[in-house]
Amino acid sequence: MTTLLLGLGNPLLRDDSVGLKVAQLLRPLLVDRSDVTVDEDYWGGLRLMERMIGFDHAIIIDAIISGAKPGTVHVLSPGDMPTQRSISAHDVNLSTALAVGREAGASLPNNEHILLIGVEAADVQTFDEELTTEVKAALPEVITIALSALKEIKGRDER
Amino acid sequence: MKRISIDPITRLEGHGKIDIFLTDEGEVANAYLQVPELRGFERFCVGRPAEDMPNITNRICGVCPEAHHMASTKALDALFHVDPPPTAKKLREMFYSIFYATDHTTHFYALGGPDFVMGPDAPVAERNILGVIKKVGMDIAGKVLKMRHDGHHLIKMIGGRPVHPNWGLPGGVSRGITEEQREEIEKLGLDAIEFAKFSIQLFNDIVLGNEAYVDLIKNDAYVHRTYNMGTVDENNHVNFYDGMVRVVGPDGKEHAKYHPKDYQDYVAEHVEPWSYLKFPYLKKIGWKGFEDGIDSGVYKATPLSRLNAADGMATPLAQAEYERMYDVLGGKPVDNTLATHWARLVELLYATERWVELANDPEITGDTFRVLPTETPTEGVGEVEAPRGTLTHHYWTDERGILTKVNLIVGTTNNNAPINMSVKKAAQGLIKKGTVIKEGLLNTIEMAYRAYDPCMACATHTLPGQMPLEVTIRDAEGEIIEQLTQNL
Repeated sequence: MTTLLLGLGNPLLRDDSVGLKVAQLLRPLLVDRSDVTVDEDYWGGLRLMERMIGFDHAIIIDAIISGAKPGTVHVLSPGDMPTQRSISAHDVNLSTALAVGREAGASLPNNEHILLIGVEAADVQTFDEELTTEVKAALPEVITIALSALKEIKGRDER
Repeated sequence: MKRISIDPITRLEGHGKIDIFLTDEGEVANAYLQVPELRGFERFCVGRPAEDMPNITNRICGVCPEAHHMASTKALDALFHVDPPPTAKKLREMFYSIFYATDHTTHFYALGGPDFVMGPDAPVAERNILGVIKKVGMDIAGKVLKMRHDGHHLIKMIGGRPVHPNWGLPGGVSRGITEEQREEIEKLGLDAIEFAKFSIQLFNDIVLGNEAYVDLIKNDAYVHRTYNMGTVDENNHVNFYDGMVRVVGPDGKEHAKYHPKDYQDYVAEHVEPWSYLKFPYLKKIGWKGFEDGIDSGVYKATPLSRLNAADGMATPLAQAEYERMYDVLGGKPVDNTLATHWARLVELLYATERWVELANDPEITGDTFRVLPTETPTEGVGEVEAPRGTLTHHYWTDERGILTKVNLIVGTTNNNAPINMSVKKAAQGLIKKGTVIKEGLLNTIEMAYRAYDPCMACATHTLPGQMPLEVTIRDAEGEIIEQLTQNL
């Protein structure tokens, strides 16, 4: 079984880079896990789906704004992602993208094998490479969640 | 005044919000597309070496990083007073054509196209790429994904990295291509031409074959007679990578044709208190408000505008489709916003033809793909046609090449005034005294701005994917009298 661990974000927009920073922190901790590919990317939607092709599991880490306290860590699945309508009009949502990929016959992880870790952001609108204090403080929790998910995947694999 | 707002629940994707203000009589008074401010970009850039800009600006926006990379690289050419060798220019243009083909494909199939293919009255849940797959056939999903895959693969191969190329340098590019790579680029390009032809046939069968859709394109609610801007080559043909900026009036006559470095003589920016995003307008005509017509400085810079601003396309298949579009829609210029989707397909075809043309150019595998800058940097402007409009980067540095000032006019900003005008007009057509606010209204407004493929975001990837909307209707005192939500 192979797992993609993907940090998403814009490296220049403060808390939006949290997913990328988590991926960078996790990379050295996972050098011994040949079943895990750690990577960073920028896009959701179709491209995110395309990145998952060929993997059995995916763990996606990204910033989120849901109204919760900044630094709150949300653990979600693709089914939790709402909406068809968008002002952005630039991409489809992840559920739609996954369905398109499956229609096209792409080999994608099952929805229950896709884990989305969203870190509640305080500021994604200022050009800055540093995280806000609240989001920085959430890094250990995010890393713990990601590592325990990877441990569980490995455990299930070995059973 | 009553206020209707189409409000994102989160601002994670798109960062836009539409407010429609009603009069006491229930008629539309004004409509605004508001965009939150991204702060501190200039401060972030100033003090850095100018050569960093192609790799910084390509991260501003998650939608067209390649366009920023290219405009930025061209600004560095100008800044360092260096003219790239022919191989470098051709490689850049080929790379850019591949990016265009990929980007226009995504917009047509995933974003704008579903409005047409499924029809504007189709339920939102079906008006997406999945609906298109169901209607047109399963194999279309594979075709679209192959086109995207080939594009991303070649962008990575040529540009050094997927999504964010790190390839452009002042005076050229960091590496060339081998004969083996050229062959692959050509082969995938030929596939892309077939895909573009297929897409035009699809549009022809489903949209043009349906009188109701043609009526929709021609519907007055979607017409704006403004100036049109686009970049043209020496024959006044559309060019995405390089040329002169040409502006043609609502009467079809040339208003201006200028070198991109002179943009400040032709374009000025109007400021409104309710918007962080400025409103560029034609300086010599002047800002006369959000108005159509030859006396208003409002202009559009979209795929349709580029076609309107040019005399034709530089490749044969695209030229034939260009002529057909104007025949069907009644001659130039075409002012029907929804025809932008058709124009985008004409451009898709041109991009794929140009891609193959350049792949077959004898100089494309040349090994002189960079000249080293030797002069002291001062100031430079770089311009390309981004898929969403004319994109200008302007940098100033000290004698060491350290940035002292930065100015960007991005594709969508050009269209800020027309987008607001289109939203208002679409709303006016559908909100009359006593009209119940229903989905058709939202669809219509959405279609009006989606034609521009607006790019407000630099964080378009973030969860939760796409934005849910909340429609709030407020009375004159600002009290909520009704609240409608969708996809929550």
